[in-house]
Amino acid sequence: MRRRSTREKKHRSGEIPTGSFSDIAFLLIIYFLVATTLVKVKTITADLPTGEKTSQPQSDKTPIVNLRGAEVFLNDRKVTIEQLNERLAALELAEKDPSKRVIMLESASGTPYENYFQALASISEHHGVVAIVEEDE
Amino acid sequence: MKKHLQRRKRRSVPVPIASMGDIAFLLIIFFMVCSEVSKDNSKARLTLPFSEFVEKIEIPVAARIAVDENGEIFFDGYQVDSVKEVEMGVRALLTKTVSDDQRHVQFKCDAQLTKEQFEPVIKAIAAGGGIIEAVGENNE
Repeated sequence: MRRRSTREKKHRSGEIPTGSFSDIAFLLIIYFLVATTLVKVKTITADLPTGEKTSQPQSDKTPIVNLRGAEVFLNDRKVTIEQLNERLAALELAEKDPSKRVIMLESASGTPYENYFQALASISEHHGVVAIVEEDE
Repeated sequence: MKKHLQRRKRRSVPVPIASMGDIAFLLIIFFMVCSEVSKDNSKARLTLPFSEFVEKIEIPVAARIAVDENGEIFFDGYQVDSVKEVEMGVRALLTKTVSDDQRHVQFKCDAQLTKEQFEPVIKAIAAGGGIIEAVGENNE
């Protein structure tokens, strides 16, 4: 009788083994550390205002960047990307009112994104607000 | 002889490791709360354009849009059929935004695509109210 009761007691007092919990937890941490990738892409920011075309004439002083294939024009003068950067820097747009920071960006059909991106980056870098010029249909 | 025994006793100090499991689980919870699941457009194959002005982005983006080398458009990793879907998607995501910091939309595009393929997407993002974060690589 005594033997039985001691056996039963042993069976009931079984504890959950928690000794390996820390090992499991650390393995999970290592997994997260290995599997996690910290992606930080490099970008340029461009806030493009949207609106309808108005009949009001645009100010003559608003600079226009034209992209025709691989060529870049600023106010109808052919420039390189470096020259465009210099001219936009000379405009000192950062000190102007936001409404006077507008730079028109016009591109001919077939213009590659590479050139468009460089022009967009240049305008954004010099605090210009890009206004995309649409072709009349 | 006695001295020798005393020295041995001093050396066998047990390190308390009972709380190691708790610390480890706290670290796991921290990682799980802080990490963000990447929604990168893994299916989109493209070559990024170069510029000297690109900078590492610190702001979280509301959506990720990509146009691959074939001109196919991806919205948060899923292919969409038209630019209208991009505009609607961006607009829907940005309806509850309260500040400009929440309006940033990542835009990836293949460098060789032409105006007819990428400009409608840019316009759709702008029309949806997004601030474009155009992804590129450094010249250096």
